[in-house]
Amino acid sequence: MRIFHKKDGGIVQLVGKDEIKEWPVELPLIFIEYIRKNKLPTYNDKTIEKEIEKYLDEILTEIAIPRMISVLDGEDETEIETVLERIDELAKKKLDLVKPIKSYIEKLDKKSNKKDISKACGSILSTFIKEENKKKLADKRKIMRQIEQEFLQGKISDKEYSKARKEYLIMKE
Amino acid sequence: MASKSENWDLKATKQLFQEYLNRNLKEQKNKKILPVETVEIDDLNKTQALKRIREFIDSIIEKIYKDGRPSIFLPSRTTGNIIWDEENDLLLLGKQIMEKQFHSLASVADITRVMKVLEKVNELLLKDLHATKREIFYSAVTLFGDQKNSDKCIEDVASMLYTTRNSTHIVASAKGSCVGRLRIRDRNDIIDLEGLGGGGWTISPMLDNVEIIESDAEFILVIEKDAAMMRLAEARFWRKYPCILLTAQGVGNVAVRMFLKRLSKELNLPVFSLVDSDPYGHYIHSIYLRGSKRLSYESPFLATPNIKLLGVLTRDLDKYKIPNSARIPMNKQDIKRTTDLLNEDFVKKNKEWEQDLKLAVKLKIKAEIQAFSSHGFEFLTDRYLPEKLTTGDWI
Repeated sequence: MRIFHKKDGGIVQLVGKDEIKEWPVELPLIFIEYIRKNKLPTYNDKTIEKEIEKYLDEILTEIAIPRMISVLDGEDETEIETVLERIDELAKKKLDLVKPIKSYIEKLDKKSNKKDISKACGSILSTFIKEENKKKLADKRKIMRQIEQEFLQGKISDKEYSKARKEYLIMKE
Repeated sequence: MASKSENWDLKATKQLFQEYLNRNLKEQKNKKILPVETVEIDDLNKTQALKRIREFIDSIIEKIYKDGRPSIFLPSRTTGNIIWDEENDLLLLGKQIMEKQFHSLASVADITRVMKVLEKVNELLLKDLHATKREIFYSAVTLFGDQKNSDKCIEDVASMLYTTRNSTHIVASAKGSCVGRLRIRDRNDIIDLEGLGGGGWTISPMLDNVEIIESDAEFILVIEKDAAMMRLAEARFWRKYPCILLTAQGVGNVAVRMFLKRLSKELNLPVFSLVDSDPYGHYIHSIYLRGSKRLSYESPFLATPNIKLLGVLTRDLDKYKIPNSARIPMNKQDIKRTTDLLNEDFVKKNKEWEQDLKLAVKLKIKAEIQAFSSHGFEFLTDRYLPEKLTTGDWI
């Protein structure tokens, strides 16, 4: 067990990484979500919350994700579907965590002929696309503000401004 | 008598917990060494157990080829072969071996039964299933005749494979329950033992599927009686005093003792027992403490040698002013049982325990946990337990 000390003298014990390594592939993710959602808010101690968050991230990057990658690279289609379902859920909650798996999902999407696997891959990849578009839009919004300033100062023509504005609105839609 | 303004900080219990944590860090390097004159038993997973069965069968076949007179050897489980290991405070099985010959008329029925159980164990392990002792009996009623015979063969099989009964996938029926600050996983399900109501989680006999995943408890309380467990559960005792409560409704069966052992070992928590102040209550405590004679070969996996007897002690009856009307006179049988306990080496070694039992014999009185209700229903949860856990008043 991994021991965490609370400021009030209390102790929280969480299962160790060596034990987690032996679990079914989707279980580390369920565990991480369970502790984050149900237990962290009950400890009433910011320091311990941070330490446990860090530990959970370590489990995710050192165990959960590498094991999922090995499943995605394998041949067991039922296991692949279960793992894809979990990745989809996680991608919608915290996309950064599943970024290391993106290339494996793309590869699987191209390789697999099975409808359910393609559908699950599509759902995950569309979450990535939505995220990328959000970033592009934020960048464009920044540029647009600058263009508006320059237009008001008469530094650019109305033609240039309306062209940029049109591009921005298309992207927004 | 109970005062709601009293604030018990469980100082002594917390200190003990800290000691265990510090000691564990040191002990992790040193594996527990059992006396050389005792047999070593292993807790095996499915693959290891199957491998051991194959090796065992191979050795029998080899003997058939060699001299045509096969036999099996297993550690003797007679009283004379049970050794009390003072250092680890455990009852263990000595190295006396007995032989059962296939060709002897006296042992042929016994051998057939043992081999039938072995066949069933092999099947259970291959299919990754678990069966109760009763199911094993019903798998060949005519052969076993009586469940006593199949039960004995189950123990024979476990001991001749030098493993625990749980490793053979033959389990006891679910009996005990557990509630409090603990999260476990049972295969792919995460179970929160704080969120199951007062009834708690029924301790699964299939403990190889169970794993402790989180806990913020600071001690474990083992309760003899369901009624006392109900009182504590109703008070949500674990919310105010971070703990795990466990009951077996009497003597703990294999699953309960094994689960307690695992909780204590993995979480390094102090363990306390709350039993009736009578010889049977003390006997129950002793079973948790150092194992039973019948299952002595499994003691290292079932006993919790650091369990403390929190109560109810004979000396508590005066200290907490239990009225005479709530005290019960001991009968002859009670006195005999108490005297028998006083003759046990593990009691003689523990002077405080010996003193308390001697006091019981002297006063010839006993009392149930419920006797505290004479001071109000909340006395047990608001005063007796917190005070003892704070002051360190245990044996």
